[in-house]
Amino acid sequence: MMIKLSYKCVFCLIFILVLLTGCTTVTIEEVQHSATELVEGESIVVIGRRTSSDYETEPELISCIGKILSKGENQLNVIPEQTFVDNLYPWFEPRTAPLRVRDLQRLLTYDAVSQKFSDFNVHYIIWVDGNTETTRSSGSITCSLGGGGLGCFGFGTWDKKAEYEASIWDYKKKKLIGKISSEADGTSYMPAVVIPIPIIAQVQADACKGMAVQLKHFFNNTQG
Amino acid sequence: MMINSLKLFIFTLILVSFTGCKSTLTVKGQFPTPVVNKLPYTLGVIYDSDFKDYEYTEKDTKRDKWEIEVGEAQLKLFNTVLPAMFTDVVSVPDINNKENSSIDIFFKPRVDELQYNVPAETKLNMFEVWIKYNMKVYDNKGLLLADWILTAYGKTPTAFMQSQESALNEAMVIALRDAGAGLTLKFSHIPEINNWLKKHANK
Repeated sequence: MMIKLSYKCVFCLIFILVLLTGCTTVTIEEVQHSATELVEGESIVVIGRRTSSDYETEPELISCIGKILSKGENQLNVIPEQTFVDNLYPWFEPRTAPLRVRDLQRLLTYDAVSQKFSDFNVHYIIWVDGNTETTRSSGSITCSLGGGGLGCFGFGTWDKKAEYEASIWDYKKKKLIGKISSEADGTSYMPAVVIPIPIIAQVQADACKGMAVQLKHFFNNTQG
Repeated sequence: MMINSLKLFIFTLILVSFTGCKSTLTVKGQFPTPVVNKLPYTLGVIYDSDFKDYEYTEKDTKRDKWEIEVGEAQLKLFNTVLPAMFTDVVSVPDINNKENSSIDIFFKPRVDELQYNVPAETKLNMFEVWIKYNMKVYDNKGLLLADWILTAYGKTPTAFMQSQESALNEAMVIALRDAGAGLTLKFSHIPEINNWLKKHANK
């Protein structure tokens, strides 16, 4: 069976595919121990924790949070993760990064490290730990190539779960001032009748958005 | 004639199947300069050809055929890290070098072992790399001062549309950065080196 699609149809199909996204449920929780005091010119840095042996906080999640924080209303001055980590090499590598706020004191005994922090004008360090994983998948899709062309038939579905926790350190006071967690669950579907139509749940992207919006609220909430 | 054509076809098929299974990776990456206090000594560094041209070739017939060229990348790493650790670093062919009498200590790194895992071999969606280095430090008379093992580890998660080569390269670069971090932060804490530094503290 050979299916011929006009440009109009192809355009409509692409448009439908863009519109079709799976549903995601996002849960955000926040604990704030003290108020933030971010003054003009000061920066924050968002870094991924990479100490776990069985998962890795994705760099794209960190850059996604950073991009949202540095854009739009109440934008913050965010130092890109790689720039910060490279400039402070080897102190923020996966196996050498400080695990507790008081570990920062040890780093600051080195004048060059202290100077780098001053150059960046860092006030807050946000450590993000977690990952996104596929928790369940089922169904099957078969594709075959025949005289009439390529065709697929079947149905596939999979669940994804994103769990992230951000710990906010006040570099100037050497204190943990709060935590934000972002959890997202979503199911993606892929029905295929000749052409597979992916209906993807943007689990990681939604967890990122939820986390970034809450962080913006955190830094603009002076109540404590 | 027919049999010859068939033989040629089978031979070509075998050749194609052999070349299709082999993956080659030349590790490429950028390594930042460490932010550490310099030791006021002149270091003579010895990179032998095994180190400079280090290449890992998979010998296990059950695994995919990988050839990983690490020599160039690790040379780049050590040439970035060592000048940040010492006031002066000179490259010398061996410890018997008499041309540069200002050398305080000699340093000779060697790769003992390299291991990797690809996601298909583990339950994790992760590329992992381990490198075991043997580090040797000699005094300016050529006597062995310290000999220790430095293990480096790097991992990177699989990503959509990322090739195996690119992911493994990323894990290799993280492992090399870890080696650089381990060397800079642990060097002065190796007991024998620490003793030597105390004895020569007035330099």
